[in-house]
Amino acid sequence: MRVFAAILWKDLVTEWRSRDRVVAMLVFSLLVVMVFHFALPEGTGQEITRHAPGLLWVAFVFAALIGLNRAFAIELENDALAGLALAPLDRGWVFLGKAVSNVLLIGISQLLTAAAFGLVFDVDLLASAGSLGLVFLLGTLGIASVGTLFAAMAARTRFREVLLPILLLPALFPVLAGAVEGTLEAMRDGAASFASIQLLLVVDAIYWILCFIGFDFVLDE
Amino acid sequence: MTVTTNAAGLDRVAARAQTVVGAALGLLLLLYAYAVVTAPIDATQGVIQKILYVHVPLAYGAYLGFVVTAFSGALYLRKADEKWDRLAIAGAEVGVIFCTLMLITGPIWARGTWGKWWSWDPRLTVTLLLWFVYLAYLLLRNFSDVGARTARFAAVYGLIGAALIPLNYFVIEIFGARGMHPENLDSDSLGDGMTRPFLVGNLTLFMAFAYLLLLRWEVETLRARNLVESVDPISRVREEIGP
Repeated sequence: MRVFAAILWKDLVTEWRSRDRVVAMLVFSLLVVMVFHFALPEGTGQEITRHAPGLLWVAFVFAALIGLNRAFAIELENDALAGLALAPLDRGWVFLGKAVSNVLLIGISQLLTAAAFGLVFDVDLLASAGSLGLVFLLGTLGIASVGTLFAAMAARTRFREVLLPILLLPALFPVLAGAVEGTLEAMRDGAASFASIQLLLVVDAIYWILCFIGFDFVLDE
Repeated sequence: MTVTTNAAGLDRVAARAQTVVGAALGLLLLLYAYAVVTAPIDATQGVIQKILYVHVPLAYGAYLGFVVTAFSGALYLRKADEKWDRLAIAGAEVGVIFCTLMLITGPIWARGTWGKWWSWDPRLTVTLLLWFVYLAYLLLRNFSDVGARTARFAAVYGLIGAALIPLNYFVIEIFGARGMHPENLDSDSLGDGMTRPFLVGNLTLFMAFAYLLLLRWEVETLRARNLVESVDPISRVREEIGP
């Protein structure tokens, strides 16, 4: 537990001092939102509510990929990863520290992106803010779990930035299915249905347990 | 990379099995061709229905390959014996080949009967996704240096890939997607005279699967012993130079 808190604290302090990951994710996802403006036909108006959830999650996933790639790239400098692997505990706790810091950093950039998206496309996200927040949180938990595990792998291969999306995207299908459906329901009906929340909870639970166990083999320096 | 030498016993069994399976496969191929040619023509679908005798056995082979990969990956993580890692590679590669062929024969059949090449039917979607997972598995191996770390990464990825199969069926169940793809075959769903070619087809392609798996396993073993030149020149040079 102390290892978890220490790594989480270390990651957040590093990020606070440099602020490079959140800024990079945010700028990138705002650019993606800008691209949507050109990609959507003129006067999409009411139609946007139907497409917004999918578009939002596309921006979220792309931005998360950028942040996740950096999560372990910084540990490779000065061989810091070997230091992490020496933590006198189950390495699953190292995973938890890294993954929770990823959840927080991705979450911050998501909230700001969603706010910008709502403003420029005139979508009222505040009306169902609580429900949306829950879906965003559960979706991000899913992305960060396998994302952290695969980033730890990809960081130590030859084509790290290329490999992470190839590894991660197929595993995100169940997460995105629940998250997009939940976001759509929250925007349309004011609350996400039990089915999508249940799906996200089940997938998150499976992924976090698998990654907690699997990380021990991945960080075996 | 160190190669375990005491795996020779298992290798010898595998080599012997390979001869037997190869001979059986040769005989079965003839029987298979005969059975498919003489199989009755379907009353509604016409001759295109004969793709069934290839498509369904290919699907079994594809899933079997992925099960082999996940299972041997788990064994490797548990025992750290490289022979299981080599079997995992063989399973993934043969599985991808079967899956690719299934994804080619399926649309041909679909075009003939549904009138379009593809439909986002639950079963098709999950299969395509699984194909991507195992392509990613092979790319992960290709993009990393040969060694124990890569083997561990691949084993972990293969296990998560296997967990994705039931998970995705669960997703589709929850959202109640409609399917076009027929349900699993039961004994009554085949017409008169179709059961025999179907069973022969399954047996033949299973033998083909086993033969390719054993062959690929052997190649990987030989490669590990440096008898066969590695496909990856960089790591070979690295191995020759040493640390």
